[in-house]
Amino acid sequence: MRSLRYGSLRGGPHFDRWLFLAVAFICASGLANLTSALSAYEGHSRLGGLGELYMSQFYWVLTGMAVAGLLVVIDYRNLERFANVSFGGGLFSLALVYALGDASRGANRWLQFGSFSFQPSEFVKLGVILAVAKWIHDDNQTEPRTLWELRVPLLITAVPTAIVMAQPDLGTSLVFVSCAGAMLAMTRIRRSAIVTVAIAFPTVSVLAWTYYMKDYQKARITSFLEPEKDVTGIGWHALQSRVAIGNGGLLGEGYKQGTQNQFNLLPDQYSDFPFAVFAEDWGFVGCVVLLSVYAFICIWAVHVASQAKDRFGAALAIGCGAMFFTHTVFNVGMAIGVLPVVGIALPFFSYGGSSMVAMFMAMGMLMSVSMRR
Amino acid sequence: MSLLIQRSDVGEFRRRYRYMVLVVLAAFAVLVGRLLQLQLVEGASYRAQARNNIVREIKLATTRGVIRDAYGRVIAANRPSYNVYVVPGRLDMTSTWPRVVELMGLRAEQRAELEKKIAEVPEARQLHQLLLVVDVDRDVVARLATHERELRGIEVSPVPVRYYPYGELGAHLVGYMREIDPETLARVQGRGYRSGDQLGAVGVESRWESYLRGQRGFRKTLKEHRPSLDTSALEQKYLEQPIRMEPIPGRDISLTVDIELEESIEKAMRGQLAGAVAVVDVRTGRLLAAITKPSFDPNVLSGGHGKKAVRELVKRLYTDPLKPTLDKTISAAYPPGSTFKPFSALTAMADGLVDLSTRVDCRGGYEYGRRFFRCTGVHRQVNLHAAMVRSCNAFFYALGERENIDRFAQVGLDFGFGVKTGIGVNPESAGRMPTRAWYTRRYKGQYVGGYSLFAAIGQGAATTTVVQLALAYAALANGGTLYQPQVVRSIETSDGTIVQEFPPRVRRMVDVNRQHLSTVQDALIGVVREREGTAHAERIESVDIAGKTGTAQVSHVTPRGVDPGKVWYFNRDHAWFAGYAPSRSPQIAIVVLVEHGGGGGKNAVPIAMRVVRDWQKMEEKRASLRAVARQKPERGP
Repeated sequence: MRSLRYGSLRGGPHFDRWLFLAVAFICASGLANLTSALSAYEGHSRLGGLGELYMSQFYWVLTGMAVAGLLVVIDYRNLERFANVSFGGGLFSLALVYALGDASRGANRWLQFGSFSFQPSEFVKLGVILAVAKWIHDDNQTEPRTLWELRVPLLITAVPTAIVMAQPDLGTSLVFVSCAGAMLAMTRIRRSAIVTVAIAFPTVSVLAWTYYMKDYQKARITSFLEPEKDVTGIGWHALQSRVAIGNGGLLGEGYKQGTQNQFNLLPDQYSDFPFAVFAEDWGFVGCVVLLSVYAFICIWAVHVASQAKDRFGAALAIGCGAMFFTHTVFNVGMAIGVLPVVGIALPFFSYGGSSMVAMFMAMGMLMSVSMRR
Repeated sequence: MSLLIQRSDVGEFRRRYRYMVLVVLAAFAVLVGRLLQLQLVEGASYRAQARNNIVREIKLATTRGVIRDAYGRVIAANRPSYNVYVVPGRLDMTSTWPRVVELMGLRAEQRAELEKKIAEVPEARQLHQLLLVVDVDRDVVARLATHERELRGIEVSPVPVRYYPYGELGAHLVGYMREIDPETLARVQGRGYRSGDQLGAVGVESRWESYLRGQRGFRKTLKEHRPSLDTSALEQKYLEQPIRMEPIPGRDISLTVDIELEESIEKAMRGQLAGAVAVVDVRTGRLLAAITKPSFDPNVLSGGHGKKAVRELVKRLYTDPLKPTLDKTISAAYPPGSTFKPFSALTAMADGLVDLSTRVDCRGGYEYGRRFFRCTGVHRQVNLHAAMVRSCNAFFYALGERENIDRFAQVGLDFGFGVKTGIGVNPESAGRMPTRAWYTRRYKGQYVGGYSLFAAIGQGAATTTVVQLALAYAALANGGTLYQPQVVRSIETSDGTIVQEFPPRVRRMVDVNRQHLSTVQDALIGVVREREGTAHAERIESVDIAGKTGTAQVSHVTPRGVDPGKVWYFNRDHAWFAGYAPSRSPQIAIVVLVEHGGGGGKNAVPIAMRVVRDWQKMEEKRASLRAVARQKPERGP
């Protein structure tokens, strides 16, 4: 990628201010947007307490920044040593969730430690990325790989994916697959292997659809196609989110002025549909600006990978970028009705400590790679 | 494993970065493209939807127009019906309930029944309102309102219902209200009807529904939102003008009907099971009264006594063999019998077949072909006048033998028989004036001359409605002007301003010879005045009336759906009287039909006599009132 090779950025530990600014911008916008989203609950008899979520989100941002800072300071090559450990720990915590998690919100995703609960699956995403990156790093085969030769990374992806699917959590499993997929896509793979996957994936999907998936999950996926058909149930979320976004128009209703949000017509506007709140407040112009910054970070990750001096760094950058990309595109996609509603957080916008910290960690690792090329 | 050894080959990845960037760009392009569509292309429609989401339109009720009679007396109005509801979960059965019983003045058995009803409420519905008593009277409402605070769990709420002060009187013409059914609702969608609305069911209430109904108003408000928002500022911003639309009350309707006259008819018809009376104004065709027996109580049907009462009454009405729901003045046709003879006579005279000198020897019947057509008696030598006065069939059989049946139909049609009158309320029966072609079609070519004989005396296949007959007699009385019957005189706004007035409408000037007409009129006077007249025995001396009796034979085959135990009743003849008054300067035409009443002279005439007597009294009273009113301005300063 010749055009992205900027000479001025080469050489020595070097703070990546563009990445920093982009993340800072999104993070600030996210906090501001959360204020708008939560303002709808002010003085609400039952949900008034949600206003306090803002402060806890703020603390999570601080925590995330601290962890990210740590990762930036540490040379990413040290992470290689922890790759297998973190992956194994991740698997263990997933198993733990499966064993003793409580089924709040219809799915076992949380681990409870006293009053503190967190979602291990968010961190397992990083574990998978590290493990696959380590495998890519260690595997110096130059010939195109067969499917059999890819068995280790495929297994690394498949095991947590299967556990998460059983929770069931479609969004997270999607992130596992797309991160590992993006990383492996950089390596040379035999055409036969690609063809096999191209055939196997739809087959497995159809089988999963028919025999495995629960009705509510199916409904979630199909309802995005025709949300008008089911205006009281699942389609309602998607439809109201679309109305909110359309209501934004060119310039938006103004900060904290979006009526869909303020009149509480957006369910879960602080966790699943923050983008709808943003789009309604800021309009098309605001959305294009925000999405440009998101897109910039994704492309920047590719750029960082292309500049990395070893395979581990490149794979890590691609993995972190893919994680960021998948979260962004799926969350926005479901808000604007081009993708099914799967519970997946919008980076730095959605409320949630685990995903916030995990995303900060991904950005920290990206920065770490960026600084040591 | 040393980190310092550079052993990975990053070059392998080189070629893939470009595609990854392309994937990223493509994905974001799709997102932006979709945003373009949602926010800019379809933005206006989503904005409208978003506004719709936060605005609530509260409907403001309107009031239905009042229906009045010709003299301004209210026939249909609105009143609140107070229903008592109870919330079983909130009601204290030991302390509050006895107090409620006392205030409502419930009897012991009522109390026990209601206690059972409350006790049977399932756990899940303990906090739902339960309808306890429908339409309690105002004193009870007042008492309950006074003690409202002590009566936890008891609620009284008003529901508007249609009120008909005269009850059953003329109910078929006025109509009643019913709850809109889903089918009708689908048909009238977009005209402001909602599920649960009432609409006019029959008669004027139904036909003039769109005038009476009025239009709901609305008031727009914002839906519930967080309290810290400034409501008035938001309303200013989001509510589209007009924010409030006042309801438009329905139009009032004044009928041509005189309710006092109807009361007198009702009184005169006591003792008869079923029948119909119509009175029309000879000079305008306005319907002054239309009574059908048996009738129904529109107050109950309109829901004034609760839905259960409606269901029960409907069930009863539709199983009654006397067909109380049928408007027998407009929707049902009967053989006219001898009341058709004046028109037969006019036909024959117009064709030059008879004049006053023509005589027929009645020997109790008339021989035609191999059949003997029976007469009502042995009248010996009769001319046209005597034949009408004494209702001699033989004379008319002779006339029917010489006359073409199509001519009777033709004259009948001229006088409005066999054709809908265009009265505009209730489904109208056209009646029938059979022609040769009709018989040929009906009996597959088997037309026989005897049909013409029957046609001459108004039997056979000929039928008429009561209103048709009244208008035809009005035409006899006024010299041949056939009017369109009129029920509504004018439409007014709720403050009394007349919006629209309906002048009388002439349907046709019947081409009839003066001489012939006065021959018939003389005969009609003779029916009442002459000793041998069929109405003479039952006349009232003070009543100046002309007319014709009729006894219409009913098919002796048991009608379908009739209880065999009642066959004797349903086989009896219909009794008719059709006439007009006063006899020399007619003002009203009256038709009385007593279903299965037997002889017309004996059963229908007394009713007509009494009604006309009452009408004369009312006229005198009105005349004196007018005289007083005329004098008033002269006595002024």
